[in-house]
Amino acid sequence: MAEATPILSVQDLVMHYTTRKGDVSAVDGVSFDLENGKSLGLVGESGCGKTSIAFSLMKLLPDNAKIKGGSIYVGGTDILQLSHDELLKFRWQRIAMVFQAAMNALNPVYTVGDQIIEALDLHWGDLSREQSRERIGQLFEMVGLDPKLMDRYPHEFSGGMRQRAVIAMALSCNPDIIIADEPTTALDVIVQDRILRELKKIQEKLGMSMIYISHDIAVIAEVSDRIGVMYAGRMAELADGVDIFEHPLHPYTYALMRAFPSIKGEKHELVTLPGEPPDLLFPPPGCRFHPRCPRATDVCKQEQPPFADNGRGHFVACWHPMEANHE
Amino acid sequence: MSNNNDKPLLRVQGLKKYFPVGGGFLRQARSFIHAVDDLEFDIPMGGSLGLVGESGCGKTTTGKLLVRLHEPTDGQIFIQNEQGELEDIAHRKGESMKTFRRRVQMIFQDPYESLNPRRTIYDTVAEPLVVQGIGTIVEREERVAALLERVGLTPATSFMFRFPHELSGGQRQRVAIARALIIDPVFIAADEPTSMLDVSIRTGVMNLMMELAGEMGVSYLYITHDLAVARYMCERIAVMYLGKMVERASTEELLANPLHPYTRALISAVPVPDPRISRQAIDIKGGVSAPIDPPPICRFFARCPLGDDFCENNPHPPMEDKGGGHYVACYKV
Repeated sequence: MAEATPILSVQDLVMHYTTRKGDVSAVDGVSFDLENGKSLGLVGESGCGKTSIAFSLMKLLPDNAKIKGGSIYVGGTDILQLSHDELLKFRWQRIAMVFQAAMNALNPVYTVGDQIIEALDLHWGDLSREQSRERIGQLFEMVGLDPKLMDRYPHEFSGGMRQRAVIAMALSCNPDIIIADEPTTALDVIVQDRILRELKKIQEKLGMSMIYISHDIAVIAEVSDRIGVMYAGRMAELADGVDIFEHPLHPYTYALMRAFPSIKGEKHELVTLPGEPPDLLFPPPGCRFHPRCPRATDVCKQEQPPFADNGRGHFVACWHPMEANHE
Repeated sequence: MSNNNDKPLLRVQGLKKYFPVGGGFLRQARSFIHAVDDLEFDIPMGGSLGLVGESGCGKTTTGKLLVRLHEPTDGQIFIQNEQGELEDIAHRKGESMKTFRRRVQMIFQDPYESLNPRRTIYDTVAEPLVVQGIGTIVEREERVAALLERVGLTPATSFMFRFPHELSGGQRQRVAIARALIIDPVFIAADEPTSMLDVSIRTGVMNLMMELAGEMGVSYLYITHDLAVARYMCERIAVMYLGKMVERASTEELLANPLHPYTRALISAVPVPDPRISRQAIDIKGGVSAPIDPPPICRFFARCPLGDDFCENNPHPPMEDKGGGHYVACYKV
């Protein structure tokens, strides 16, 4: 395909956590691209590796985590090859992250404004206090907070306001890419809706690229141009949002969509998947979904299915994909 | 049909629960959180009611009041006794409370917190039988084994003598369901029983609860913040806002034809798991605060797009039937 180079390209990423019991294979051969100005949603259940991918992209890994292979290209540079100093420049200025649980992402003993100044200083260095405060005021307005609130402490903020402050912090260094990891999970639905809409607006205005991470397929459906469905450390399916909903190819994607109730449309029976996700200390051989898959055959138990393009950028890793025209 | 079915299984009238704030050992509290303020509703025999609203709106307090884990500040909670008569249990104590406990049970949100880590699954599930003095040891064992199989923990013998930490979240919640059902209650209050579970596990637990409630003729109150889950689980839905019930109707009616401005905003904000459907969001100002000594006017007034002088100068609107059992508390609809 002769398209523009993607802003982010992840290839065959492998990441393990070392534990006393052995290696947990949290991310196993994941590849995806993110085009400039677009949004990608990663959806999956707990332990499927979505947050591990986010931490890998930021190179903010816990001590027991190790990237075992693959590459992460941001604008052409493989960030896995960068030195520590180069990384400091890269992080937050190229990729920034909005953390899950905004409650804990802010330091309670500093005012919210001071925490953002810290981030600004780290990267711009030469701003005067007035310039910094002016910049924070702009950021606050962009995320829908009253600039006067910058001298308040995090405990004076509601959950929604804290999440906005964390978004403002992520925006502070004009990153090209923002990763939002469960940005609205602890919030009430009305606040969630408002924040998602604002994130979308900011993205369009600044022309940023976004990666949304959530367990909630409804949230992902609303904000993402492309959707990646993850299962047990691997990408099961990756396609344009509408495409994946109209023609899910992976049996897990199909099951996931039928497990979510909706307030719109006909009320339908929700389908249950038998069993539970595998223990990634001992991942099953072959396709990691095969013990729960209604379509599994012998080949699924032995060989890992390739993650292949089925046409029109619809990728799927399955030996027996669903027919594209079912229903 | 016996005439028991004409009467509701559960009837709540003027139910209130106020929690003191800022009081101390010698200092009388001067302020109160009006966590649940003047609720009124019925749950029919075998029926299900979904209680939805944002955090802090009083859903959990309501659930705990109905099973009497809280004592109400005021109001009545009627429940049918074994003779089919309505009995007020709002202020029951002692032995008569124990009889009542056979009739109602609760399922909690967090299966990691609600099971005693030092007790085996058998001990946990059999506990209500022991407390109520039902059956011999052999009978209890049979009953527990049969129910564990029924909730999908098969074979029961391999689960009975395990401890909670050996089970996954979904399995623990199945244990919690078994414990609630072991003494054949007529009513269960379920407080967000699936909100901690992953999607592929959650569906199984929801389907199981519905099947069992149907088979055993148990009515339930299903507390959730998720309207889509409430729609799937319940025949009727009630919406709470800051301790007040603002709207109550049959599920499809409420979703298709919401009347209260808060319900409308709430429904419009629910994301839809389908990118082909676009929705029109209705925005309301501000956020939810705690109902500490709220002014006597409509609780929603500060955020309401419809509020006017009349709302500001009159007490909180009463629940009114707008036809077909669609109740709403608003002067403007």
